[in-house]
Parts: sequence; structure tokens; C-alpha cells
Amino acid sequence: MNNLDAARLQMAFTLIFHIVFACIGMVMPFFMIIAHKKWLNTRNPVYLKLTKSWQKGVAIFFVTGAVSGTALSFELGLLWPEFMKHAGPIIGMPFSLEGAAFFVEAIALGFYLYGWDKISEKFHWFTGVIVGIAGVASGILVVSANGWMNAPSGFDYIDGKFLNIDPVKALLNPAWFTQALHMTLAAFTATGFAVAGVHAFQILKKRQIELHKKAFKIAITFGAIAAILQPISGDLSAKDIAKRQPVKLAAMEAHYETSTGVPLYIGGIVNTEKKEVSYKIEIPKALSFLAFGDFNAEVKGLNDFPDDVKPNVAIVHYAFQIMVGIGTLLLIIGILFFISLKKKTWWNDNKFWLLFTLLAPMGFVALEAGWIVTEVGRQPWIIHNIMKTKDAVTPMPGMVYSFYMYVVLYTILTVAVTWLMGRQIKSLNNSKIEA
Amino acid sequence: MLYVVLFFLMVSLLLYVILAGADFGAGIIELFSSKQNQEITKKTVYRVIGPVWEANHIWVIIMVVILWVGFPKFYNVLVVYLHIPLTLILLGITMRGVSFVFRHYDAFKDKSQIVYDWMFRVSSLLTPLFLGITFGATIYGEIIITDNYTSLSFYDLFIAPWLNVFCISVGLFFTALCAFLASTLLIGEAKSNERALFVKKARVSNVVVIILGFLVLSYGFINNISFVTDFIKNPYTIGLVTLSAILIFPLTNSIKKAKKIKSRFFAGIQVVLILLAALIVHYPNLLITSKTSLSIIATASSDKVISVLGMSLIIGGLVILPGLFHLFKSFKMIKVLER
Ligand code: HDD
Ligand code: HEM
Ligand code: HEM
Repeated sequence: MNNLDAARLQMAFTLIFHIVFACIGMVMPFFMIIAHKKWLNTRNPVYLKLTKSWQKGVAIFFVTGAVSGTALSFELGLLWPEFMKHAGPIIGMPFSLEGAAFFVEAIALGFYLYGWDKISEKFHWFTGVIVGIAGVASGILVVSANGWMNAPSGFDYIDGKFLNIDPVKALLNPAWFTQALHMTLAAFTATGFAVAGVHAFQILKKRQIELHKKAFKIAITFGAIAAILQPISGDLSAKDIAKRQPVKLAAMEAHYETSTGVPLYIGGIVNTEKKEVSYKIEIPKALSFLAFGDFNAEVKGLNDFPDDVKPNVAIVHYAFQIMVGIGTLLLIIGILFFISLKKKTWWNDNKFWLLFTLLAPMGFVALEAGWIVTEVGRQPWIIHNIMKTKDAVTPMPGMVYSFYMYVVLYTILTVAVTWLMGRQIKSLNNSKIEA
Repeated sequence: MLYVVLFFLMVSLLLYVILAGADFGAGIIELFSSKQNQEITKKTVYRVIGPVWEANHIWVIIMVVILWVGFPKFYNVLVVYLHIPLTLILLGITMRGVSFVFRHYDAFKDKSQIVYDWMFRVSSLLTPLFLGITFGATIYGEIIITDNYTSLSFYDLFIAPWLNVFCISVGLFFTALCAFLASTLLIGEAKSNERALFVKKARVSNVVVIILGFLVLSYGFINNISFVTDFIKNPYTIGLVTLSAILIFPLTNSIKKAKKIKSRFFAGIQVVLILLAALIVHYPNLLITSKTSLSIIATASSDKVISVLGMSLIIGGLVILPGLFHLFKSFKMIKVLER
């Protein structure tokens, strides 16, 4: 493995790890404060129990998210020193605001976790709200930095130099809104379904049913609403890409020949040598419509781009299929959930709980796939059309070892956190809830 | 605005060293305690540091962000040539953070605690050690800035600048300083019958700090390390160091008498004085290398970027500092105010 590939794999690996914890750390506080509010309103001890056990989950995930994020903020420089040398001053604005948001979040979390019975009930609950809001704000800000890599703006690029830097314009780059919207929804979808799935499994196993049903309902409500909105926002993203990064769009669809009235491919196996897709389902003219809102619009194909600006078509295409496939599935399930609120008998059927148990990891799979579309689809550029990834990598040899170290470390952490969560649930199920 | 940014950089550095330093120190004290005292320390540490440790560590992120936005060329040199110790710091921060949470939030308290405890203690020792080593490397002067990475060996470029007696002694010095800070902090927080333990730790670590500081300076002087020779010649640093030497007497005195606030105050002052002395010599050269020095002014970003950064920091500071203050106060970390 050469240095560049090792660095890319390390970046991918650490981000894929961080995003899971970041999303949970960002969304779980919302579940927690809803449960907390219900406890304050109803004084039903089940809600107190639920709040306290979710709070432990938040603490564990928050810290794992925070340390892996700290590692990432160094890694951007450690792996891509040339990139940070030029991009740092330009995208520093979202990052410094993000720093402020983290600070607010950490302070509020300090109050929340340690404030039980020490500070006034209302203020205590409110600090939980701040944890949630600050988390979402920091998520949006980082994504804006990523948007800048896709849609660089806020500077003049003259003779290889970055001049007249305008950090505010870079923050509000053309990609920030669609990406931040889609990402925030994705975080709610993924975490909502994952948490709901865990509780559904407990219900299936007939443990502490009352508590787990309440937990399930809170989590899935968030997840289902977000899942229903997700395709709409995804369509906005696709229209954006069609304008700004036509190669990425072509790679997502494995669309080789430039033509008008282009069909949309679903599934299929990409043959990059022969430049064709076999075993696919075709929806006539759908791609033209999705990308440009016109059934007969022209969509540029991969053959029209020089080889040295094309990403790995197969990876981008499959990842996109996975995301959209799961997106459609979760949309349907989201609607089914709202129907189930009317048809209470479903809630007594084991199949219902089995379904949600199986769906638990799906949101996260879609989320990671979506990031692979975005990030691999941007290759070979680290800053779209400005700087190539290979020119940004660290000159220090031996990055493979660093990559291996992170793989070992994060694998251990993943196992440890999963095991700890298992123990949290076990202790929750063993405990008695007293009024 | 450049000075506003530099001010924030310095404040974050100072706060990181004092707050996170005390945090690391708590783990180090635990490492060097007898079994029974380890339990006492563990409980005290959790009570005192639990609510604030997460916030303490964000100062390093603020520092990194200021560096890469405001001084990208300096940051570039750091991350390229000190890649290895920085990675080891990250490893330490990661292990320490997760083990702290694991040991206090695990649903069952059983044998796995032993693993968390050892992870926590060892990483509490290693993290400040490598932090100190990294700082040492920026003043030791062996970093070779070049564009031609193949002409020199891996060892010369990426290892020699930090793996040497001088940098390791700076690392040990900083580690001892952390232990000292933590024990003085804990004196005030421990139950009265457990206070003697931390008084002892504070006195021992205080002596170790002084000895190691002396060793670092004499080693540097004998080997003609320009930072050290400048340090010894500069009138301001001499003033600051003398002041800190004089203040050692009230400090040791108040520690001996287990005076909570006084010893904390004097310990804080000590650290600030030592750091200020080092920073005065360091300024404006952020990095002293084998051939040249990299000046902070020369590596600063354009005026526009600096002014936006400065504004963000001021606004951020206005939002964060009151909250942080309130947090410390609510959990009785700032006892001075209650008098
Ligand atoms: C729960 C996760 C999830 C689900 C169900 C979907 N997405 Fe997505 N998608 C993401 C999670 C995600 C993501 C991980 O959050 C990405 C990566 C970058 C971003 O902004 O969002 C993303 C990126 C992304 C992009 C690329 C944006 C870019 O490169 O700037 C497009 C075009 C879509 N999505 C389109 C869709 C469509 C049409 C969906 C229809 C069902 C869909 N997504 C469902
Ligand atoms: C889309 C991608 C990302 C999202 C949505 C995201 C979101 C978050 C969130 C919500 C947290 C708070 C921790 C928690 O609640 O668990 C967090 C932590 C952190 N993230 Fe990320 N992050 C992303 C990528 C990155 C990247 C690329 C970096 C590095 C530059 C980064 C740096 C950090 C840092 C430094 C922390 C720790 C802050 C703390 O101590 O609270 N994140 N991230
Ligand atoms: C958290 C969700 C994210 C995931 C899962 C993710 C995934 C990936 C992947 C798979 C790569 C490797 C692409 C390749 O080399 O083929 C990559 C590269 C990279 N990503 Fe992301 N990414 C995420 C968010 C971000 C954010 C928010 C930023 C910046 C603020 C960012 C910055 C980078 C950089 C600098 C690289 C390396 C350069 C490159 O390969 O283009 N990523 N990421």
C-alpha cells in the first residue's frame, strides 16, 4: 500500500467511525429531553428510569465522539498538511464556530449529567435542550466545511495562490445548505431507527415491556419523520450535484454516454472496462427529470470527461444504490409506523418488533454509503477542481503503520462500546422501577 | 487583531496546561499511590473533575483551530515533522477519555474496572509526557525544514527532532508539573481525613518539579541549546523565575498546612510564571529549527482572516466564558468566591 492510499484509508476509516458516534451524540439528547419532559409532566417513574439510562448512553457516546473528533481535527493536518496550509484560513470560520458550539455542548452536558437534584428542575432540563441544539449546530458547521471542499468559494485562485480570502463567503458556500439539511435529517433517521431497533429487540424478548415501548415510540417518531423528509432533501442534493459536479452525478448513475432523456438505473453490475451496466432496471427518462426537472434534459456522461478527473465509478454507483434503496425502504417503514399508531393490534404482533429489530442498522448503513458517494465521488480532488488529493498528502513515509494503529484502536473501541451498551441494557432490565 | 488572536492562543495554552494538566495529574497520582489510596483518589477525582473534564479538554481543540486558521505555515511544520509524537498524544487522549467514562459509567462494577483503571492511569502519564516532548521539540532546534524529503533519512527528519534527552526531560518536567497541580487541587477537595494523602503527594511532586526544571536548564546550558541560553540571559525571564522561586516558600508552607485556596492560588501562579517566562523567550519565534527560526508574525494569515478569526474568538469567548465560570462555580471548583 502506498502512502497516499494508506492516508486515504485512514481518513475514511476514522471518519466512518466518528460519524456514528457524532450522530448518536447529536440526536440522543433529543430523545433524552423528551423522556425527561414526560417525567416532569407525568411523574411516571418509568420515564425517569428511561431518561437516566439514556443519559448514560449519551455520556459514553459523547466521549467516544469527542475523542475521535479531537483525533480528526489533528488528522486533517497530520494527513493532509498541504491541504490545511491553504484551506485552513479559508474554512477556519466554520471550524472556530464549531469549537464554540462544542464548548457550549460540553458545558451544558456537564450541568446536565451532574446537575440532578443540584440545580433547579427547569434549568436542569433546559441544559439538556442546549446539549441537543449545540450538537446539531456543530454538525451543520462541519458539514459546511465539507461543502466547501465540494464547492470551493470565498477566495480567488491565481497562479496557484489563494488570494482575497473571505471566510464568511466560504462558510456559506453553494453546497452548505443542501448538504447540511440532508446530513441533519440523516442523523435523525439513522439514530432514530437504531435506537428504536434496540428497544424493539427488548420488546421481542419480553423484557421491561412498558419501558421499552415508551422508548421505542420516542425514538421512532423522530426517525420516521426524518425518513419521510429524507428523499425530498436527497432530490435537492442531486439537483445541486448535477449543476456543480456533473462527473459525480455521472458516476453515481454509472452513466457513460452523454445523451438526452436519460433513464435512471436501479441496481445493476458495473463493468468499468466495457463501460456498461448489466442486470439493471431502467426507468425511462427519470434521471434527466431528477437531475434537471425536465424529462428531456441532456445529462453528460463519463465518456466526456478526461480520465484523470474521474472517481472510482463502481464504488460511487454501488454506494449510491445502497443509500437510495435504504432511503426508499425507510420511507415506507416510516409511513407504516404512523399507520400502526391507528392499528394498535400491530403492536402486539412479534413480527412488528422483529421488523424494527432487523432495521436497526439500516439508517447507519445508508448514512455511511451516502458519505462514500460524496467523498469518493469528489476524487481525485480534495478541493474540487483546485487541489488534488495526491498533492495534499503528508510527505512522511510509513503511513500504513499509522493506519493499522487506528484500525486496531477503533476496532477495540467499537467492541468495547457495544459491550458496554449491552451491559447498560442488561442492568436496566434487571432493575425494578419503584414509584 | 493579531494581538487579540495571540492573546486567545496564549490563554488557551495556559488554560489547557493548568486545567487539563491537573486532569492528567490526577491520573498520575493514582498511578503512584498505594492500592488503598488509589480508591480514595479515584473517588475524589471523579467528584472534582467529572463535571468539567470534557470542557477542560476543548482548549486544545481551540488551540489547534487558532493555529491552522491564523498560522497555517507554523501548523504545517508541526504536523509534518512532529507527526509521530502528535499521534501518540492523540492515542493517549483517546485512551484516557474513554477509560474515564467507562470506569464511571459501566453499569456493573466488576473485574473490568481493573482494565479501565490501568488504561486511565497509564494514558494519564503518557499524554503529558508526549505533550512536553512536543513542546521541547519546538525549542530544541533539531527540526530540519526541507522540501527534499529523500535526501535525509527518516530518522533525521521525523524522529531525531523529538526523541532525545532534552525533549524527554522537558516531557518529564511537564508530567511532574501536572502531578503537582492535581495534588494541590485535590487537597482542597478531599475529605478532611484524607487530606494528608494529597498534602504528601503535593510536597513530593513539588520537589520533583524543581529538580527536573533544574536538570532541563542545566542540560540545555551545557549543550548550548539557544532557547536555554536565551532563557538564562533574558532579564524578564530571570525576574519571573526569581519571583517563582521566592513564591515557592509560601507555596510549600500553605501546602504543609493544607490551606486549600492559598496553595491552589500559589500553585497556579507558579505555572503561569514558568510558562510566561518560557513564552517570552519563545516570542516571536514559534519554532526554533536547526537553521532558522519561524516567526509568528511571518506565519500569520492575511489581515482579513485574522480579523474574522479575532471577532469569532471574542464573540465565542463572550458566550462561553460565563457558562464555563458558572459550571465551575456550581460544582464548587471555585471556592474563593464563597468567602
Ligand atoms: C440515513 C441516511 C440517508 C438516506 C436514507 C439517504 N441519504 Fe443521501 N446522503 C446521506 C444520507 C442518506 C448522507 C450520509 O448524509 C450524505 C453524505 C453527504 C451529505 O450531505 O449527506 C448523503 C449524500 C447524498 C447525495 C450527494 C450529496 C453531495 O455529494 O453533495 C445525494 C445526491 C443524495 N444523498 C441523495 C439521496 C436520495 C435521492 C435519497 C433518497 C431516498 C437519499 N439520499 C437517502
Ligand atoms: C459530517 C461529519 C461530522 C459531523 C456531523 C460531526 C458532528 C459532531 C458532533 C455532533 C460532535 C459532538 C460529540 C458528540 O456529541 O458525540 C462531534 C465531535 C467532534 N468532532 Fe465531529 N462531526 C463530523 C466530522 C468531523 C470532522 C471532519 C472533524 C475534524 C475536523 C470533527 C471534529 C470534531 C471534534 C474536534 C469533536 C470533539 C468536540 C468535543 O470535545 O465535544 N468532526 N462531531
Ligand atoms: C463523517 C462523515 C464522513 C465520512 C464517512 C467521510 C468519508 C470519507 C472517505 C470514504 C474518504 C476517502 C475518499 C477517497 O480517498 O477515496 C474521505 C476523505 C476525506 N474527507 Fe471525508 N467523510 C466524512 C465527512 C467529512 C467532513 C465533514 C470533512 C471536512 C470537513 C471531510 C474531509 C475529508 C478529507 C480532507 C478527506 C481526504 C482527502 C480526500 O480523500 O479527498 N470528510 N472521507
